[in-house]
Amino acid sequence: MSRAEQGNGGAKAGAGVNGNAKSVAPLRVSTRTVPRTRWIQAPAIVRRHEDEGAAHRWLELEAPGSFATPLPGQFIQILLASPSAVLLPRPMSVASARRRGGRCVMGFLYAPVGPGTRLLAACEPGSSVEVLGPLGRGFPLDQPGIPVLIACWRGVAPLIFAARSLAHPSARRRGRRAEFLFGARDRAHLVGLEKARREIAAVQGRLQLATDDGSRGIRGNVIDLLERLAPRLAGTPVLHACGPHAMLKAVAGWALSRGVRAHLAMESVMACGTGVCRGCPLPRSRAKSEAFDSASTPSLWGNREYAMCCTEGPVFEARDLDWERVE
Amino acid sequence: MSRAIRPRSRAPGMTRAPRFRAVGPSRERESAHAIDLSTRIGPLELANPVLVASGTFGYGDEYAHVVDVSALGGVITKTVTLMPRAGNPAGRIAETAAGMLNSIGLENVGLEKCRSEKLPKLRSLGATIVASVGGETPDDLVRLLEALGDEPGVAGFEINFSCPNVAEGGARYWADPSRLEHTLAHLRPLTRGALIAKLPPDVTSIADLAIACERGGADALTAVNTFVGLALDLDALKSKLGRATGGLSGPAIKPLALARCHEAVRAVGIPVIGSGGIESGRDAMEFLAIGAAAVQVGTASFIRPGASSTVLDEIREFLASRGIARLDNWRGCLRDLGQGRA
Ligand SMILES: Cc1cc2nc3c(=O)[nH]c(=O)nc-3n(C[C@H](O)[C@H](O)[C@H](O)COP(=O)(O)OP(=O)(O)OC[C@H]3O[C@@H](n4cnc5c(N)ncnc54)[C@H](O)[C@@H]3O)c2cc1C
Ligand SMILES: Cc1cc2nc3c(=O)[nH]c(=O)nc-3n(C[C@H](O)[C@H](O)[C@H](O)COP(=O)(O)O)c2cc1C
Ligand code: FES
Repeated sequence: MSRAEQGNGGAKAGAGVNGNAKSVAPLRVSTRTVPRTRWIQAPAIVRRHEDEGAAHRWLELEAPGSFATPLPGQFIQILLASPSAVLLPRPMSVASARRRGGRCVMGFLYAPVGPGTRLLAACEPGSSVEVLGPLGRGFPLDQPGIPVLIACWRGVAPLIFAARSLAHPSARRRGRRAEFLFGARDRAHLVGLEKARREIAAVQGRLQLATDDGSRGIRGNVIDLLERLAPRLAGTPVLHACGPHAMLKAVAGWALSRGVRAHLAMESVMACGTGVCRGCPLPRSRAKSEAFDSASTPSLWGNREYAMCCTEGPVFEARDLDWERVE
Repeated sequence: MSRAIRPRSRAPGMTRAPRFRAVGPSRERESAHAIDLSTRIGPLELANPVLVASGTFGYGDEYAHVVDVSALGGVITKTVTLMPRAGNPAGRIAETAAGMLNSIGLENVGLEKCRSEKLPKLRSLGATIVASVGGETPDDLVRLLEALGDEPGVAGFEINFSCPNVAEGGARYWADPSRLEHTLAHLRPLTRGALIAKLPPDVTSIADLAIACERGGADALTAVNTFVGLALDLDALKSKLGRATGGLSGPAIKPLALARCHEAVRAVGIPVIGSGGIESGRDAMEFLAIGAAAVQVGTASFIRPGASSTVLDEIREFLASRGIARLDNWRGCLRDLGQGRA
């Protein structure tokens, strides 16, 4: 990691010099041009709900027409019908979104890991939940460069959505094909692999695989794939990644040390999902903290020391977070 | 761009009802809006008893596209301190059975930004504003009220004497009757708005604190803030929060909060505002029944941002369905519950 910062909670604003920012491009306040939509809370109906393999479920929800179509990297909060054994809604990344008869149909790939997601897994088609969204800022897909999408495990789903968006003829940089790197512990954990193959082929993307045990693709991880791919690219890559934080840290480290832009989809335990409760802080990098301008940053997004995952994120640029302190 | 859920617009003055008019269940719907919900908190006359709790509604504008904040009794802002606070490190939220623990650490924009940016925005939305302020010392609070005491459009102040998540100036520090009394006596002359003291539940006697606040010159009390709680992750062998403990809120605390609120109501003559686990109109009616003057909707807004409007609608429906034309005829109907027993 290029920038070590002092420990917990005490990073002092405006102090010290910006040590070794070396090859990192100069920091501007915001390079993000993700359109902002207004979230609403609305009832939704479970339209499809099935096993996707690797202990994951595929869920399709239909929300009313007033629900704005989410963008890749955005998330929604799913609230189970009450009375329910869990209190708070659960955040889920949107893995597909389309309009059908004016209504908004969204897909999600998720793992039942605890009480909330296990109760969700038991919702039959036809049953109702509530959805709140679209929330947060997604992947800035109009950034110049060759898009390299890097997924681990269930992180594959939002990035397939991104690959489709990139290839769409109406996209701002029109019909770009993506390099797609997908990794997991072993072949059994390459969740939704067949779907990924199909969908990425359909948008002329190129899919490469890595598993720790070499049971599919190269033996290694997505960083190894990235190392091999980077020198063969015809231009500067721009990375978009989704997966466990450990993998995102590694991608961020790789990108920062090479001055490559990387956008990482982060997670945090959340309560409100809308910036109100202040429950989902991620530590800002020292450079970001020093450049923090409270006049131009909506307070909903965070403060000098912490960015809120739900509003300023969940997708962050590598150089904006302090990866030493990300858990 | 989506269309937001539009708040129902209500003609001004619609809540003023002909006094003592009995309404039968058949006319419930149209009569619900004619019920007199007026609520007095010291110098404040509120249109209804539903406020949103500090720290659960931001600075009032974040939820404004789904809640008509001008139709609420009032909006209590996130607690503001003299200087901005960044809050505690990650691990600020953990869900527990029917509740949640939080360890936010009073992250807030600070006095200056609150005054220059947040309050004007909230004013423009037509909300009745109660500014929540917090300090590490009595002097901090004096300075906050000196700065905000005459702020236009601020109807009152809730003094947060009860934050469980800060090292300095938290609930422990303030749970001292004489400190509360003296501090409030210093604050009293600094504003003509309502002065509301928000009390912690984790004390030997909330009645003693309540009495001290009344003596110090508070117009009203809020009972209660969150309960100190701890939840563990047995796999990682650590607390589920970044700091060991946090404040418990949500439905889990409603019976606890109701009992503390009742104790405070019985101890003092000034109005007490109930807070803790209120999600529905019926929850609110319980607090009002034991004599709370008003209620606050907190955690429920995280689950359904429109919760406060729903609580208000349900209070109206509850009263209408029982033919009660004025909230005053309900308020305190169970105040003397348990009176005279050991
Ligand atoms: C923006 C965002 C997008 C997400 N997208 C997806 C997705 O597409 N698919 C998917 O399967 N999961 C996703 N998650 C994670 C998902 O929200 C959690 O797994 C879920 O909330 C767990 O709830 P639970 O009640 O089942 O388990 P809990 O008992 O609450 O938690 C089980 C485990 O998950 C951890 N956890 C709880 N909440 C979160 C959280 N919000 N983020 C990370 N870890 C958490 C806990 O520490 C615990 O180890 C996303 C989270 C966020 C913040
Ligand atoms: C995330 C969160 C933040 C809070 N922040 C504040 C605060 O800044 N000031 C304050 O006085 N109370 C704060 N509270 C306490 C609430 O205002 C309320 O008193 C408490 O949560 C109990 O009510 P509830 O169960 O309806 O949430 C906070 C509560 C939560 C859950
Ligand atoms: S989850 Fe409430 S601020 Fe992010």
